[in-house]
Amino acid sequence: MSRDITISVLKFNPRDEDSKPEFVEYNLKETPGMTLFIALTKIREEIDADLSFDFVCRAGICGSCGMVVNGVPTLACRTLIENYPDGKLQLIPMPAFELIKDLSVNTGKWMDNMSTKVESWIVSNDEVDITKIEEKMDPDTADAVFELDRCIECGICVASCATALMRPDFVGPAGLNRIARFSIDPRDKRTDDDFYELIGDDNGIFGCMSLLSCEDHCPKHLPLQNKIAYLRRKLVSVK
Amino acid sequence: MKITYCDALIIGGGLAGLRASLAAQKKGLNTIVLSLVPVKRSHSAAAQGGMQASLGNSKMSEGDNEDLHFSDTVKGSDWGCDQEVARMFVHTAPKAIRELAGWGVPWTRVREGSREAVINAKKTTITEDADRHGLIMSRDFGGTKKWRTCYTSDATGHTMLFSVANEALKNEVDIRDRKEAISLIHENERCYGAIVRDLITGELEAYISKATCISTGGYGRIYKQTTNAVICEGMGAAIALETGIATLGNMEAVQFHPTPIVPSGILLTEGCRGDGGILRDVDGHRFMPDYEPEKKELASRDVVSRRMIEHIRNGKGVPSPYGDHIWLDISILGREHIEKNLRDVQEICKIFNGIDPAEEGPKGWVPVLPMQHYSMGGIRTKKTGESQKLSGLFSCGEAACWDMHGFNRLGGNSVSETVVAGMIVGNYFADYCIDNELDIKTSTIDKFLAKEEKNINTILSLDGDESIFKIKDTMQRLMDKKVGIFRDGVHLGEAVVQLEELLKKTKNINVKSKAKAGNPELEEAYRVPKMLKLALCIAKGAQQRTESRGAHYREDFLKRDDKNWLKRTLSSWPNENDTMPTISYEDLDIMKMEMPPAFRGYGAKGMIIENELSTKRQEEVDELREKMEEAGKDRHQIQDAMMNFDLPMNYREKNERMGEK
Amino acid sequence: MSDLIEGYIGKTTNGKKSRIPAKLDYIQSLTGGFLAIFMWGHMMMVSSILVSKDFMYYVTKFLEGSFIIDGGSPLMVSIFVFIVFVIFVVHAALGMRKLPSNFKQYQVLKAHTKSIQHQDTQLWGYQAFTGFVMFFLGSIHLYIIMTNSADIGPYASADRVWSEWMWPLYIALLLAVEFHGTIGLYRLCIKWGWFDGKDPQATRKRLKKVKWALTGFFLTLGFAALIVYMKIGMEHADKVGEKYVPTSMIKEAK
Ligand SMILES: Cc1cc2nc3c(=O)[nH]c(=O)nc-3n(C[C@H](O)[C@H](O)[C@H](O)COP(=O)(O)OP(=O)(O)OC[C@H]3O[C@@H](n4cnc5c(N)ncnc54)[C@H](O)[C@@H]3O)c2cc1C
Ligand code: HEM
Ligand code: HEM
Ligand code: SF4
Ligand code: F3S
Ligand code: FES
Repeated sequence: MSRDITISVLKFNPRDEDSKPEFVEYNLKETPGMTLFIALTKIREEIDADLSFDFVCRAGICGSCGMVVNGVPTLACRTLIENYPDGKLQLIPMPAFELIKDLSVNTGKWMDNMSTKVESWIVSNDEVDITKIEEKMDPDTADAVFELDRCIECGICVASCATALMRPDFVGPAGLNRIARFSIDPRDKRTDDDFYELIGDDNGIFGCMSLLSCEDHCPKHLPLQNKIAYLRRKLVSVK
Repeated sequence: MKITYCDALIIGGGLAGLRASLAAQKKGLNTIVLSLVPVKRSHSAAAQGGMQASLGNSKMSEGDNEDLHFSDTVKGSDWGCDQEVARMFVHTAPKAIRELAGWGVPWTRVREGSREAVINAKKTTITEDADRHGLIMSRDFGGTKKWRTCYTSDATGHTMLFSVANEALKNEVDIRDRKEAISLIHENERCYGAIVRDLITGELEAYISKATCISTGGYGRIYKQTTNAVICEGMGAAIALETGIATLGNMEAVQFHPTPIVPSGILLTEGCRGDGGILRDVDGHRFMPDYEPEKKELASRDVVSRRMIEHIRNGKGVPSPYGDHIWLDISILGREHIEKNLRDVQEICKIFNGIDPAEEGPKGWVPVLPMQHYSMGGIRTKKTGESQKLSGLFSCGEAACWDMHGFNRLGGNSVSETVVAGMIVGNYFADYCIDNELDIKTSTIDKFLAKEEKNINTILSLDGDESIFKIKDTMQRLMDKKVGIFRDGVHLGEAVVQLEELLKKTKNINVKSKAKAGNPELEEAYRVPKMLKLALCIAKGAQQRTESRGAHYREDFLKRDDKNWLKRTLSSWPNENDTMPTISYEDLDIMKMEMPPAFRGYGAKGMIIENELSTKRQEEVDELREKMEEAGKDRHQIQDAMMNFDLPMNYREKNERMGEK
Repeated sequence: MSDLIEGYIGKTTNGKKSRIPAKLDYIQSLTGGFLAIFMWGHMMMVSSILVSKDFMYYVTKFLEGSFIIDGGSPLMVSIFVFIVFVIFVVHAALGMRKLPSNFKQYQVLKAHTKSIQHQDTQLWGYQAFTGFVMFFLGSIHLYIIMTNSADIGPYASADRVWSEWMWPLYIALLLAVEFHGTIGLYRLCIKWGWFDGKDPQATRKRLKKVKWALTGFFLTLGFAALIVYMKIGMEHADKVGEKYVPTSMIKEAK
């Protein structure tokens, strides 16, 4: 039952003057339940010790391992080889992010920049007295906030979004989601006016062209379509 | 030569490091956080189940307070913890959670009215009072008297980490990722920062600071079968060890989690059992009640893990290509519950194993097996979080042996420790930076930098025939097999010898690519020897500790030996060329304990070799309590009289609770 | 002054971000929506030829305002076309902001669309391309109709289609406008979350189906009409310039 598979990887080291981007093919035997994490680790240990890629949690939780698999950005650690009937996988580093080497891209830098741009934190003048009972929050509201707080900053939505690829200053679906998350959080005292200051332009909410590739590829299934529409309605009516 | 100066240097950007960085930054210090990976990818993100804090909001946690949390923690630790630290911890935990609520963690909240819950595999109705509606909710976790584990569905660590990381961004903490600390700079028994390798450019730099805080998390990857992320290699502890001065505490105390999924090792949260999931054997029989009639699946982790292995050894495991395993059944909780509260668990089962755990009957059972999960041991510190030996070196989080976990930590106490220690240790750390001057010569910095430069060059020039990947793999398998859940003198002895051989072999490797940047094999080549040193500390410590305590279980010494072993193991590596750690011990003082050693309340009885001081101290404590209660003193005053403890900031203030005056 | 300040400083005079982008987004949707709905009407009118020449004639007369002015006046049509033309230009101007504006952007868009094989992204590609095409073709058509508003009718139109070589343009324009318009309407619903309801994903699937149905319907209708015009035009090729006289009038004249 173990079949031969071919994984072809776009290798390139932008920091090495001699390096040219090229596809390198690796042939290996599939093992039961093999994921791209297992396969790539095996390649590194047994075939090409020089192959760079990023895994941290290998469980689809940390958002480190986004890459383009047969054209589609996905979390590599959650990619089962057996879902590819012809046993051929082509791996490309995610676009939109600074390329570090081979499959490794700097999503962290992009996300930090985005987080700072959209001020991805609670803004409030109320001091929380931590010795006192916490402020109450409606359970449904808490759940709704959590729903949007689940983004793992994997960058897959960004790499899927043609708008983000064409326009590097676009805050991207992840950034828009962040605003939606804070705008429904009662602890955040920002008004629509304040949010408009952050994303009320063509690099923000009005730059999104509703391509919905973000919605269709987000590994956490965040309701991006719905929330982006919500923000658009909200911010277009800001006086 | 690239030198960066700062006031406060924090190595590791998980929950612990980031929270500590905020403590320093908020005191006006110029603070830098270094991390291997973007900080939001730190392993803290993987904590699913929750964080313990005795808020006592919901019905099932009513009446909870610091005292109960303390007693659970001490029992959990099998009396191996530092009780003063445990007190500091339980007293600050409610504040930590409330602080996090203010920073945006969307804690799951209490909903008034009745709901069905599965307790002990039986449907039970719980009714929440209206005045609790909207307060922070908690769930059940192993080894706790009350439902004390606060959570956000099953992504608690993720939401906590994101809130703290965003708070750090907000406060403009200087966070630098893809930077790896590879050694500490020290002189005259004081630490002055670290030599750091940029993982993108391969460049070595020196970070110089008034004090350095290591919060690099655990070292699970020393084992093959582990729930830990691939970056959990214990480098922080290792570089502290390599100073030759700082010590590591209780390295043999390694926790195994009962329910990682087979074969990937991805953890299925304790919440599965906390919410009412059960374990079944090859016959579909629920076996835990046979072994632990009272706590059943919710006995502490070490107990459950051992019972599972024991049951497998009794021939009741489920055979599979990856060896025998046990079934975890959460389908009895009902689809609705799973899809709401255990969504990540369901996703993991579906994606990695093709099983939908909400499906009723054997189809929905998930294969699980105990695997390495948590390192109680780490950099040994004082109560302030500063190394006992190396001044200016602090540590917090899983990397530290601050020692509130002793020989076994309770589920939910660890993410709780990260933020609480981040608050407490972070403040002591910041104060140290404020109180001390930088007085290090650049020539010293040069020396350390040159040494690491040379080390890398040496590695690249090695021309042996060993593969570093093979060495690592051998070490991991060895640790699984011989330094695992069940231990004995013979296997531990073998492990020590073989690990030492492996360490020597690392001098005989060959790194294929000679590039200094973007060369993953080179990174393995300088990390694996460090990992082997930690592995040796674990194996050697375990070999010498001839008793069973908490997670450290010796089949040849089944009893907990309070008479001879109520002490903490300290490992150090005084000489660079040593191939074996130097082990010493530090006594725990029973006469200062608020809770003298006794039976834990789970596991077999009569398995303790008593220390006569235990009874003596117990009498003392009882007497004191009785007297004070008569005099009408409240629990805080009594506690204070029994064992006084100190906290920075306003953390010593009382925690307000509903239904408590 | 405030234009200068906003232009250079990037903030309005009260220190805020400009509200213009919000308006532009809104107007783009408004104009797009108007044009799309208008095109439904337009295609219905144009395809009145499918019923009969007479019917088309009366429809034309009706649009020329025959209900107010006796016999109708083409000026009405010219004015109307002018208004539509303005809306069309405004919409095009706004749409242009979204098109790839340099080679790098075009290149990445192309590579990405090809690689990811994502339908909504592809659809946008068609929309952008057809929009670009309509820039020219639509303008030509509108200008001709505006300046020759008297020449609308069963014969005049058919002559224009056939003898004046408009049919190749119309084929292209028809394809362009139908794809562009229906995709645009679909996008409009998604973009503003109009029918999201409880399950936005299910809604989207349904909207997508409606969208394809509309595309199919209007393309069929359009081509049928176009074929009829071409046929009439061909038969009428030697009498170019002759105006259509409705059957009832012929009877009266007799
Ligand atoms: C699967 C899983 C589930 C868990 N669930 C729970 C739970 O439900 N409840 C609970 O209480 N606990 C849980 N734990 C335990 C808990 O998550 C961890 O103990 C805790 O998060 C550790 O946090 P930390 O800040 O100490 O370290 P980490 O979060 O591991 O962070 C370590 C940081 O150090 C950095 N680093 C490491 N080495 C270096 C170096 N050499 N140089 C620079 N930076 C470095 C890393 O990049 C990272 O930023 C769980 C653990 C696992 C594995
Ligand atoms: C010169 C001709 C045109 C150009 C250049 C053009 C361009 C565009 C572009 C680029 C978009 C996408 C906007 C976005 O993604 O945000 C768009 C949207 C749209 N267009 Fe056009 N278009 C033209 C003519 C038309 C016509 C004739 C119609 C009527 C059928 C029309 C209907 C729409 C609709 C309904 C939308 C969706 C509106 C929105 O997304 O806000 N367009 N147009
Ligand atoms: C008020 C404005 C408009 C008027 C009065 C108008 C009128 C007409 C008329 C009379 C015809 C029949 C053929 C002819 O006489 O040449 C026609 C055909 C056509 N028009 Fe328009 N038009 C208008 C706007 C538009 C716009 C904005 C578009 C799209 C961008 C458009 C696209 C077409 C197409 C594709 C055909 C050929 C349809 C077919 O034969 O199936 N028109 N129009
Ligand atoms: S929104 Fe989804 S795809 Fe985008 S970064 Fe977050 S988790 Fe990843
Ligand atoms: S893919 Fe991009 S254009 Fe908008 S809907 Fe998603 S952000
Ligand atoms: S490695 Fe963490 S998401 Fe894939």
